[in-house]
Parts: sequence; C-alpha cells; structure tokens
Amino acid sequence: MDEKIILKDDLLRICGDVIDKGHILLCPVMNEYSIVKDFSRIKLDASALPAGTSFKCYVFPKTEPVLYYKRSKSDVQLIDVNIDRKNIVILGAKPCDANSLNIMKHLFNWDYSDEFFNLREKNFIIIGLMCSHYDEYCFCTSVDSSPVSEKGSDIFLIPVDENKFAMRIITEKGSEFISPYAEYLKTGDENISKQITENVKLPKVAFDSNEVYEWLGENFESPKWEGIGNLCLSCAKCAFVCPVCHCFDIVDEDYSYTEGRRMKNWDGCQFGNFTMHASGHNPRDIQSKRYRQRVNHKFRYYVDKFGEILCTGCGRCSRGCPVSIDIKEIVSNCKD
Amino acid sequence: MKELREHAKELLEKGEVSAVIGYSQVSEKRTKPIIVTDPQDTDQLVFNEYCLNNLAVYLTKARIKVSCRTKDKTLKLAVTAKPCDVHSVVALIQENQIHREDIHIISFNCHGVAKDFGFEFSGDNIASKCINCETHKPLYFDKIFGEEKETPKASDDAMERIQEIERMSHQERFEFFKNEFDKCIKCYACRAVCPLCYCQRCITDKTIPRWIESSSHMRGNFAWNIVRAFHLSGRCTGCGECERACPVDIPLSLLNRRMAIKAKKSFSYVSGRSLETPTLVGSFNEKDNDELFM
Repeated sequence: MDEKIILKDDLLRICGDVIDKGHILLCPVMNEYSIVKDFSRIKLDASALPAGTSFKCYVFPKTEPVLYYKRSKSDVQLIDVNIDRKNIVILGAKPCDANSLNIMKHLFNWDYSDEFFNLREKNFIIIGLMCSHYDEYCFCTSVDSSPVSEKGSDIFLIPVDENKFAMRIITEKGSEFISPYAEYLKTGDENISKQITENVKLPKVAFDSNEVYEWLGENFESPKWEGIGNLCLSCAKCAFVCPVCHCFDIVDEDYSYTEGRRMKNWDGCQFGNFTMHASGHNPRDIQSKRYRQRVNHKFRYYVDKFGEILCTGCGRCSRGCPVSIDIKEIVSNCKD
Repeated sequence: MKELREHAKELLEKGEVSAVIGYSQVSEKRTKPIIVTDPQDTDQLVFNEYCLNNLAVYLTKARIKVSCRTKDKTLKLAVTAKPCDVHSVVALIQENQIHREDIHIISFNCHGVAKDFGFEFSGDNIASKCINCETHKPLYFDKIFGEEKETPKASDDAMERIQEIERMSHQERFEFFKNEFDKCIKCYACRAVCPLCYCQRCITDKTIPRWIESSSHMRGNFAWNIVRAFHLSGRCTGCGECERACPVDIPLSLLNRRMAIKAKKSFSYVSGRSLETPTLVGSFNEKDNDELFM
C-alpha cells in the first residue's frame, strides 16, 4: 500500500484545481452530497453523520432520458442520448457510501451492460474518509464493512490531526488522479494511521449475515412479515435514500403525437404498483409481501446472484423511515 | 401512562376493540407506531412529547380494516391520537371513510410535540404546528389522559415564511417553488404518511392516460406537488407529517398551510373541526365567496 501525508490546505488546493479543470467536485455539505464551487465550504469531518441522501443520483439519476423518438405514419425514428461524461470527484465519501458503486456495478453489468451507469462510474474518483461517527442506526460492521474500510475508495483519507491527513492510494485510478499533485504529498507512516484506525469505535455487530441468509431461505412464510407489513406505509423513502437500491422503471413521455422520449426513473419495491401486471394480477399485492421482498433482495437474492449483500449498513432507511421501521432490528430478528 | 396501558388492556380483554394503534418507545427521545392486538403487549404503549406520528393514517389502511372484522361483528379500532390528530380522524369521518362508532379515540391533553426525534423537547425543538396551536384539548374523544401543561414559547417562523412568499412577485414565487420541487425524488412519502391521502389508487398511479408524469423532472415534480396541494385544499388538517417525512426537506407545510388560511378566509372553514359540518369541497352554498374563480 502506498501511504502519504497531505496537509488539509494542500488537499483544498487540489480541490480548487479540480474545480478549475471543469470537473465536478462533490462533497457532503449540510446533510447532502452537493456540487461544491467554493472549496472553502468543504468540511472534512470524519465525525459527521452520513448525509441525508447518498451520491447515487450522480451515477444513477432519479430521472433521465434513454432515447428520443419521432413517429411518422410509416416509421419510428430513434435518436440516441448524449451521456454526460464529466469527471466527478467525490471528496469525503463515507466508507458506507464509497462501496456503493462496487455493489451496484454487478446489477448494471449482469445481463446487459448499462452504458449510462458504466460511463459515469468510469469517470468517478472516490476519495473516501474514515468515519468516526456512529449512531443507533449504523450497522456497517454487520454487512462485511467497517468505518475504516477502504472498499470502493480510490483514495482513502485518515485524519491524523486537525490539519493533516494520512492518504492511502488504493486503486490505479486514484494513483493516476493524484500523480499531478505529487509535490503536495509527503511520505507517510503506515503505523501511525493504523494506530488511528484501530482506535476507531466500531458499531456493535448486530447480526451475522450468513445466519440471516439461511433464515430467509427457510422462512418465506414467516408470520413476522405481517407485523411489519401492517406498520409500513408503502412509500419508497427507504429505497430512494439507499446508496445501493437500483430499481428503475421505464416510461415513455410523449411531447406531441409525433415526438417523445423514453425515461428511466427510480422505482421502489414498496410501492403497491411495483409488480402490478398488465392483467391486473399483483404477485406482491400486500405490504408484508413487499417488505419481505425488500429484505430478501438485500440479504439473500443479491448474495445468490452476485455474492454480495445489497446493503452498506449506512442506516439511512431506518433513520429516515416515517414510521421508524428499523431494518437492523428486523434483520437481527431474522432468527428463530 | 399506567392508566393508558390499563385502559388499552381492558379494551382488548373485553373484546371491545380488535387493536389499539398507539406509540411505543424506541429510545429516550424517540417513539414509533405500534399496533397492539395482544393485551399482554399493552405495557409497551406510551404517550409523551416524542409521539410525532399521526396515527390516523392507519385507520384507512385496508389490511387493518380487514383484520378488525371478525365473523359475526365488526370490532372497533382504538387509536391514540393527539388533539391535532383527532382533527384528521374527524376529517376522515366527515369524508365517509370511517364511521365514528367504529373508532375508539384515546386522546390526551397536549402541550406540543418535538420537531425532531432525538433532541430535547423545548422551545427550540417544537413542531411548528404546535407553536400557535389552539386545541390543547381534543374536540372529540372516548377517553382522555394527561394533565394540562404550558406549551413552550417559540416564534412562528413558518408563518413568517408564508408572509414572505406572499410578498414575492409571481416570478419570484415560481422560482422559489421551482427550486424546492426540483429536489423532489418522488418517493411519495408525503402521500404515504398523509391520513387524508387515502385514495386506493392515486392519480399519479394511473397510466392510461398518464395525468402526472412519473419522472421527477421539473414538469413531473410540479404536477405532483401542485396536484397534491390542490387535493388537500380545504382538507388538510395541518398535521405536518408530509413535511416531516420528506427526505429532501421540501417545505410542504408552507403550501398546505397557505391553502388552509385561504379556505378559512374565504369560507370560514377549518378542516376536521366538526362532525356536524359537511366538508368544504363537498358542500355548496350560493352565498359562497366566488372571488377565487377566474
């Protein structure tokens, strides 16, 4: 591993250069990942709560056209979309967000390679920041991650003191990104940063994901789902704030009789019409079946298909749930 | 608290209600909804300043309605409701969604609830609906608990913002809401938590024809948020749940409260206050103010 030391001021200078080059700089500011134009607003605070929403919308937008069409009496003409290829640099991504693209990547390259996702993902540089915060909803340690996990980051920062960061260069992409700024980097000492990461307080491990996997396979008809289904109000807030939920819906929007576009929109599995068939039949007609699907998809089906849990343990879904349904608590109870 | 639990237990044991919809404590300054059907579980019920949810939303949920019907009779549902939540219950009765005799209202003398979970309830952390609240005692109830206490003082910032928006030009106002609606991600949490959004099939879910585009671009977001505000005009009781649920902090109560002010000024009507009055949208009087028509 390549470890360096960088001063905070120098890091901000790099940010300034990133902005000057016309790249997009994303930072957690005021509870969301926002595009930063003025880098003095950047607070690299390892003890901050995860932002209200993840940066998923920058690689998988809430709505986007996938093609335009023109119709005439005899023909339909399809027009391609220009995908925005801007480089995006994310500074200060929490470990639970940083790994999200790696997890979603499987889906977007499964039976079909989604060029919209792939192109944007290729142009992403993720600079992760160690996390020293956790609250009652965090459970990254239960889903094979941790507040000091480098998974998903191209470059990983560990605050040494107020003005200094230890910088670990993880991927080739990260090394390529940082190479023009070699003058700012000083030789680091792995032992010092190791000492810091070892002293980070970890959220308690709430469940064993393997046990949950087994339980889910055997308890499809468990009466537990009904209780949750009665409380859940069927909104998609949990899915939309989730850094790895990736379901989408395709709809056509006509501008006129002859022109229109095909849109790809976020969709949520808790909506009543999510699995509604054209016949009127709905295999997940009641809320308990929909909630069961949510948990199964995250902790069993995705594992079966891609070998990874579809959850980063950020706790956003529980923190934000209007009726305080806590997924950590539910999954912890996935045992007999 | 003890009386509340005993009362709930008695209701369930005597078979007067099929379920008690109430609050249970999650942590010191946080509660969550709970649906109690077993008398043994009534000791989980609580009521305090951290009972933010408006539980009237559960009264129209089909599953719960079904589970309260036994073979030979329909059992009542008991709901714990703050005085402001009782307005929602009343509005649902006014709109013929539930019958008064099917609902057992357990209410409280209320001096306000916190704005956010996890923080001490005080003048700095008080829900904006509580600041100038006039109903500290429920207008309708079957059982009432709690002592009367003074509401913490706080300034009504939301009202100031409404007045600020009223002073804006049309263009400025449009820009303001454009920026706010731009954030909308169409998770429909506002719809899900709203006791008065009880449509079995919402207009946004209709696809042939599609009245409201499901895409969350500007047009789709405007269509959704404005249609919802229209549908709630003269109906919204101001519980503020939509704003609390919104993951992207759209100030929905500004819209809803402004519409409620308009309804009051134009028709002297406040939603959910009286079981005897017909609804505003469901009644017509030739003396009605028609200034609103273009």
